[in-house]
Amino acid sequence: MAAGIWIVIGVVVALFVIGFFGYFISVYNSLVRLKNDIKKSWANIEVMLKQRYDELPKLIESVKGYMKHEKQVLVDLTKARTDFMKAKTMSEKAKADGTMTGLLKTLFAVAENYPNLKANENFIQLQNRISSLENELSDRREFYNDSVNNFNIKIQSFPDMIVARMLGYVQPEVMFKVDESEKQDVKVQF
Amino acid sequence: MAEDRLLMYAIIGFFAGLYFFFRSFSLLKEKKLIENTPTSKIRSLAIGFSEIYGEAVSQKDKVLKSPFSKSDCVYYRYSIEEYRSSKNGGHWVSKDSGEIMDYFYLKDSTGMVLVDPRKAKIEIPDDYSVESGVGRDPPKETIAFLKTKGMRYEGLFGFNKRMRYREAYIAPKDKLYVIGTCGKNPFVQSSPKNEDTLMMQKGSSFYYLSDKPEKDVVSSFGLWVKLGMIGAPVLTVVCLIIILAYAGAF
Repeated sequence: MAAGIWIVIGVVVALFVIGFFGYFISVYNSLVRLKNDIKKSWANIEVMLKQRYDELPKLIESVKGYMKHEKQVLVDLTKARTDFMKAKTMSEKAKADGTMTGLLKTLFAVAENYPNLKANENFIQLQNRISSLENELSDRREFYNDSVNNFNIKIQSFPDMIVARMLGYVQPEVMFKVDESEKQDVKVQF
Repeated sequence: MAEDRLLMYAIIGFFAGLYFFFRSFSLLKEKKLIENTPTSKIRSLAIGFSEIYGEAVSQKDKVLKSPFSKSDCVYYRYSIEEYRSSKNGGHWVSKDSGEIMDYFYLKDSTGMVLVDPRKAKIEIPDDYSVESGVGRDPPKETIAFLKTKGMRYEGLFGFNKRMRYREAYIAPKDKLYVIGTCGKNPFVQSSPKNEDTLMMQKGSSFYYLSDKPEKDVVSSFGLWVKLGMIGAPVLTVVCLIIILAYAGAF
C-alpha cells in the first residue's frame, strides 16, 4: 500500500484516540467537579445554619419575657437547637434544620398575638435577621438541589454513566425535601 | 498556479483543523462548566465559582456613552474598518478598535451584586453598524469620535472612503448571564448586604458574560464543540490527503 494511505490512517487513528481520551478526561473532570459542587453547596448551607443557630439564643432571650403562655414553642426551639448541635450526618442536620424552620415559623406567627413584643426593637431586628437568613437558606437549599440534580442526571445518562461507574458514582445523591409538617399552615390561637 | 494555491489552502486547513480540534477540548470544558453550575440567586451568592442571571444596573453617576450611537451603557466595544478592493473582490481592514468598561451591578429579583467586567470573555452582538462612502457621510457623532482619534473618513480629492463603524454595548436594564468567580468586594470592608460585600470577577477559571440566556449559551458552545470535535478532524484529514497527493505519496 502507498505510504500516503498509511499516513492518513495513522493520522485518523491518532485523532480518534486523542478525541476519545480528551472526551473521557473531560467527562471524568466534570463528574469530579459535580461531586465536589454538592459538597460545597452543602457546606454553604451549613454556614447559614450556623449563623441561624447563633441567633437563636438571642431570639429566645428576647421573647421569653413576653410569651409566658407559649413556653412549649420555646422549649421545642431550644431542643431543636440542641439536636442540630448533636447532629453528625447530613440527613440528621437536614432534619434538625427542617424542625427549626417550622418552629421559627410558628414562633413568629404566635408573636403576632403580643403587641408589646411586636413593638420591641430588639425582637424586630432579630426577626428581620432570621427571616433574611431563612430566605438565603431556602435559596441555598434550592441551589443544593440543582447541584444534586445535575449530578444525578450525569451519572444516569450515556456516555457519562460509563465513567461514573468507573469512579464508583452509582448511587444518586439525595435532595433536600420539605418536611410534611412544614407544608402545613401555621395554626395561631387567639 | 491554481494547484499551488490549493496546496497553500490545504496546509492552512490542516493546521487550522488541528488547532480547532485541540481548542474544542477547552470549549467542551467551558460548556460543561456552564451546564453543571446551577444559577444562584444574588441574595444568597456564595464566594467561589458562581453563575447569575439578571439585568445590568449602572453605578450612580457612572454611565458611559457609546461612541457612535451615544447610547447609555456600562460597557462598549467598537471597531472602525475600511474596505479595500482587490482583484478577488475586497475585504474589510480594521483601522481601530477598542473597548471601555466600568464596574456595574447585576440585579435579580432578590438583590444586586457588583460586577467587574475586566478580563471577562464578553459575547454580545453588535447593536449598531453604519457605513460611509462616496455620497454618504458618517453621522455627526461618528465624525466627532473619528476626530478624537485623529482619523479621517475622506480619502483622495475629498471623496469619502468606504468605511464601516460598529459598536456593541451593554445598556442598563439589559439582561445578562454571568459565570465567574464571586469574591470579596475590595471597595467595601463590611456590610449586611451582598450587593456591597461581594463582587463577580475574574478568578482562576472561566469568566464569561453574555446577553443570551443560559440555554442559548450552552447550545452555542455545543455547536462549536461539535464543529471542533467532528468538523475539524475531517478538515485535517481532507487537507492531509490533498497535501500527500500533491507530494506524490499515493
